[in-house]
Amino acid sequence: MKSVPDITRALEKASGQLSEAGFVKAAAFAIVACALAIAQSSPQIHSPQATLPEVHLDADGLTPRPIEQLTGTTIARHYALAWRDLAGALESSRTEGLSEEFIGFAKDRFMQRIGEQKQTGVHVRIVDHGHRLKAVFYSTDGTAMQLLDEAQLEIETFDGNKLIDTQSAPREYMVLMTPGADRWYIRDLEEVPAKSF
Amino acid sequence: MKPTVHRSFARCRRMAGLALLCVLPGWARAAELHLPAAVEAGQAFSVHVEGSGEASFYLFGPDHVVKRTVSLGSDLQIQSSDVRTAGRYQAILCDSSCTAAMFDVKAAQPAHLSFFLHPSRVPVSSPGSIDATAFVFDQYFNLVLTPAAVEFRVTPASGTGFSREVSTRSGVASMRMDSTPHEGRVQVTAVLGKVEEARVIQQVAAEACGLRMKAVASGSLVTLETDPVRDCSGNALPEGTVISFTKIDESGKSTVDTPIKKGVARVQFSVHGRAQISVACGVVLGNEVALNGKL
Repeated sequence: MKSVPDITRALEKASGQLSEAGFVKAAAFAIVACALAIAQSSPQIHSPQATLPEVHLDADGLTPRPIEQLTGTTIARHYALAWRDLAGALESSRTEGLSEEFIGFAKDRFMQRIGEQKQTGVHVRIVDHGHRLKAVFYSTDGTAMQLLDEAQLEIETFDGNKLIDTQSAPREYMVLMTPGADRWYIRDLEEVPAKSF
Repeated sequence: MKPTVHRSFARCRRMAGLALLCVLPGWARAAELHLPAAVEAGQAFSVHVEGSGEASFYLFGPDHVVKRTVSLGSDLQIQSSDVRTAGRYQAILCDSSCTAAMFDVKAAQPAHLSFFLHPSRVPVSSPGSIDATAFVFDQYFNLVLTPAAVEFRVTPASGTGFSREVSTRSGVASMRMDSTPHEGRVQVTAVLGKVEEARVIQQVAAEACGLRMKAVASGSLVTLETDPVRDCSGNALPEGTVISFTKIDESGKSTVDTPIKKGVARVQFSVHGRAQISVACGVVLGNEVALNGKL
């Protein structure tokens, strides 16, 4: 990337006879352009408004209790929110967003993982291409649901800014969700070997 | 030096050059990781890494990240604390370039049961009214996904107990059963090997059965009292259960709700002329008493 003096010299040369005011404007334009270029090249941190990954929930034949439509919609939404927050936390090595959608073992484990990422200077970028959730168990009292997720993820691993690995194979996760006051939380999220179920 | 010796020396140099060309790509190749496909949670293991010199080793687990410098050509130790959480792990070794490998950490032997019994109170003799669900975890609280047999032992306050064995599916064993005919405390214990978790529910009387009352007149007043209120299995309904008495006479219709006290419900009405009085408990109707005005 060219430095600001280089760009301003180039602008001077191009215009030939720039007035002092014109030169100031051109320099300001160049600085803004540089700032935008730097901003684009730096790692992106997921904002709360980041796009939610696609989640399709299949609850056909769920036992021992069938799922209500509203429950299904809520679960799919909060599962998508959880993955958005998890991807953001793993990339930025910041744990603030995890409490919104994770609880119990899942929350503790991801908090620890992200804390250690921060200590070691590594981070992970997840490009999320969507999830196919299959509900496999819903307790009669409605206090726990177990699901299997077939996720399409691209996972890039960085040490500092150096890319050290890229994985793009499909992944399977075993998920345990429990209801809270106004949402369904992820209580356990464990990656399992493909076709485990 | 003779020309033949010169030629031999030149040939040797060419061959050595070719050999070096063959060897060099090997030197440039990234160090290889040969990891086991799966290990048990909390089990330390070692991996031999080929090559020479030093490399950066990374281990990414569900709750753990390791980064350290390792010597190639030696055994790489993975501590038990590095692999306590079940899931997929990624190991990366970087020298001139990086090589990655995945392996699975599976839950260890069952060590904990998370047991839910629902509901906390249930009417007697209700089919499929009790649900028992047990989640099986290892000592590190990883869900044990390999099938295991959980035994549910049911011990009622009176009568004989029974047990049922259920195999876990994806770490969960679930059972539904009927409540027993007698009211009181019922203990259900989930057992897996040496691990036991007990929960207690209270069985209460079901709906009233054979509800009857008798009337005793005194002047313009009539006192109505039920027989001891019981369900069809003979269990007394809980104190405080509401019994409704409804009277229809010349002055109109009036209803009095009164709780069961000491097993019976009692109420007093003033009656004008001919009257008909009925008794009910919830949706269960009892007998009717007709009074002809001669009190």
